[in-house]
Amino acid sequence: MVKKVDFKRSKKWENELDKCIRCGYCYELCPLFKSYSWESDTPRGKLLMVHGMITGKIAPTQEVVDKIFQCFYCKNCSDNCSAGVPVTDILTDARADLINAGFEVQGTIVQIDEDLCSVCGVCVPLCKYDALKIVDKGKDKKKIEVDKVECRGCGLCLAACPSGAISQKEGCNVTLPELHESVKEILKKDDKKLLVFACNYSIFPGMQLSETETLVKTPYGIIVTMCSGRVAPELILDAFESGAWGVMVAGCPPEECDHDGNYKTRRRLILLKNILKELNINPKRLKLDWFSTGESAKLQQEINKFVKELENMGPIEAYVKR
Amino acid sequence: MKKVDVENLKKIVGSENATDNPVDLYAYSGDASVHQAMPNVVVRPKTIEQVQKIMRYANKNRIPVIPRGAGTGTSGHAVPIDGGIVMDMKQMNHILEIKPGDVLVRVEPGVVDDDLNRALLPYGFFYPPAPASSRIATIGGEIAANASGVRSVKYGATRDYILGLKVVLADGSLVNLGANTRVHSSGYQLERLIVGSEGTLGIVVEATIRIYPLPKFRCLGVANFNKLEDAGNAISEIITSGCQPSMLELMDGIGIVAVNKALDLGLKEVGAIILFEADGNVKEAVDFEINKMKEICKAHNGFGIELSYDAEERKRIFSGRKKLFAALSRYKEGIICTDLADDMGVPNSKIAEAAAKIHEIAKRNNVIMAVYGHCGSGVIHTKIMLDPKKKDQWKDADKVIEELYDYIHSVGGVTSAEHGIGLSKAPPWKKARADIIPMMRAIKKALDPNNILNPHKLMDAPDDWVKATDLRYRVVK
Repeated sequence: MVKKVDFKRSKKWENELDKCIRCGYCYELCPLFKSYSWESDTPRGKLLMVHGMITGKIAPTQEVVDKIFQCFYCKNCSDNCSAGVPVTDILTDARADLINAGFEVQGTIVQIDEDLCSVCGVCVPLCKYDALKIVDKGKDKKKIEVDKVECRGCGLCLAACPSGAISQKEGCNVTLPELHESVKEILKKDDKKLLVFACNYSIFPGMQLSETETLVKTPYGIIVTMCSGRVAPELILDAFESGAWGVMVAGCPPEECDHDGNYKTRRRLILLKNILKELNINPKRLKLDWFSTGESAKLQQEINKFVKELENMGPIEAYVKR
Repeated sequence: MKKVDVENLKKIVGSENATDNPVDLYAYSGDASVHQAMPNVVVRPKTIEQVQKIMRYANKNRIPVIPRGAGTGTSGHAVPIDGGIVMDMKQMNHILEIKPGDVLVRVEPGVVDDDLNRALLPYGFFYPPAPASSRIATIGGEIAANASGVRSVKYGATRDYILGLKVVLADGSLVNLGANTRVHSSGYQLERLIVGSEGTLGIVVEATIRIYPLPKFRCLGVANFNKLEDAGNAISEIITSGCQPSMLELMDGIGIVAVNKALDLGLKEVGAIILFEADGNVKEAVDFEINKMKEICKAHNGFGIELSYDAEERKRIFSGRKKLFAALSRYKEGIICTDLADDMGVPNSKIAEAAAKIHEIAKRNNVIMAVYGHCGSGVIHTKIMLDPKKKDQWKDADKVIEELYDYIHSVGGVTSAEHGIGLSKAPPWKKARADIIPMMRAIKKALDPNNILNPHKLMDAPDDWVKATDLRYRVVK
């Protein structure tokens, strides 16, 4: 359905949209493109849509809206655009205009199941963008409300929600059920010893291959989780149970995370190491390391080093027997 | 095209790999050129059999088919001027075989150039013709355009590396062209004909490619020049001096200002920069080559010369050049970078003269043009920078193109050295090469009698590039 939209926030970007030369360098870095691989999922494809809407070349339909609201704000596109086009700022303004016009939106925005949510409020201070608020629902009842313009889809709240009330649309391989599936899938093949959970925001682009198989077998597998704050402890336990000899969580250095997700990860992993001891698993099999943007060589070095350490340790017999 | 055609195509590739959703069609309406036209459907085949079935269906129903790689073409090759089927080849992205012993690889057309090179690295090999867009450009797209890049000065273009091709023809039949050997003298070298054919003769579904052992040493140099002319003359002399640079790049003052603005690189804002590289397996030989090039630069008033063997340092020095194309959009507020007149080839002796001529023609016609590129192999990249909203600026661009190519052709240059003709370079190219157009049309007719493969491109493209399709900008005044 087409709605009448006042593009008052988006229109100011027309000159910037013209500056996009459509070289496409942005899309090899885009996790959405990796998941769906249609041109309409690329940052340049979305810019073209915004340009099309504000110049009247395409109608703002629900299909366009669905695409515009699919973005994790990793900003790999903006940060690597040689023409300096502020891709995510443009998308934010387009989102605001489309929401004002009354479109139903989902995309990568988190959803809250009110039946499951106890309004404990754990998620609220986690969100660096103030996208979650406790509001009155009427008759002394409260609920958590999501600001759909501000939500960056980082998923920190998802990993922290004790009642599993927060969810995100599946399809990009970063929701908890999908991540569990990826853990099992990767550890099933090629005798992988190490599983690396890598933050998309800072680390992964530098060492990212396309879907192309390189024909080179590696003793490790990498799962991109968006922010390291998404790595829920049960994912790590799942990896050990599925046969991993070790797990590495690779996140941004403390002061560099856009979402402050790494602080949460650090706390979570300290607690988890204690639990590993209880399970008779050497806590050294779980490693947390920080890498800045562009430090893909360092990441590779650390992975190789850790694989050697794990080879010395061997498989986790105690846990397997249990 | 009818709705039933879309349904039938969905049956071939699966409904998850075909779309006629207007959003998707709009996203596939353009590439990196100024052109825009909507397809009727986009399909993503995964197998050779699917490509064959699509072609059989399209041929029977006379539906245009436009193969598409990464959509990085600069002249409108992948823009569906007559609508029809856009065939997105990126799902066919497997490296099928790496055979270092036979110095070749077999790949599907959707493999990304940088991915291939990363996969070759552990074997000590590389695939040299990488264009600047290698991080996204697909091998299939590079074959369609006979792409080349910074190393073409020593290693040549895509055509020099294609040993064999599997191609699906317009009628859906599959042919195996070429050989597995480096040379062959066994009939027409039709694989070479397909390279550079811009999707007009067949769909490449597999390529057998020659690979090259990685050199042990690479040394990159950078030299500054106050005058563009001096830099041009230095390049010409390096080429005739007996040096074998593995890279010889020029970047003019406009390009330097643009990358500084866009990327904050802090490059010295001089008249021109030359980047020169030597590679090889014997360090003394590399030293000899790089020092000789350095001396030639000095003799032509080059200064502030830096040399580096360090991979990270080389990457830093080269980063500005790698991102120059997009950075040009930042040169000045109110103007943008358009992919027009972007890759002419000139004889080695004419580099300095052509660079000066380009600036002069641009100035006279109220546009800005940067001069850069792989000048060591005669490739001059330019871009026309203009205000896209002004109607008159498109007339200015048209005048620039006419004047510029008249000059380039008059000194023995070519219209396109590595990006292809497509739509926007067709008018000057057709004017210059009227003699070969009947022969090209005869070949096209023999292989694609119903004219369904990327129709109305190259020799059949419209004579007015501005009106050939919608422009992707909003022209208002």
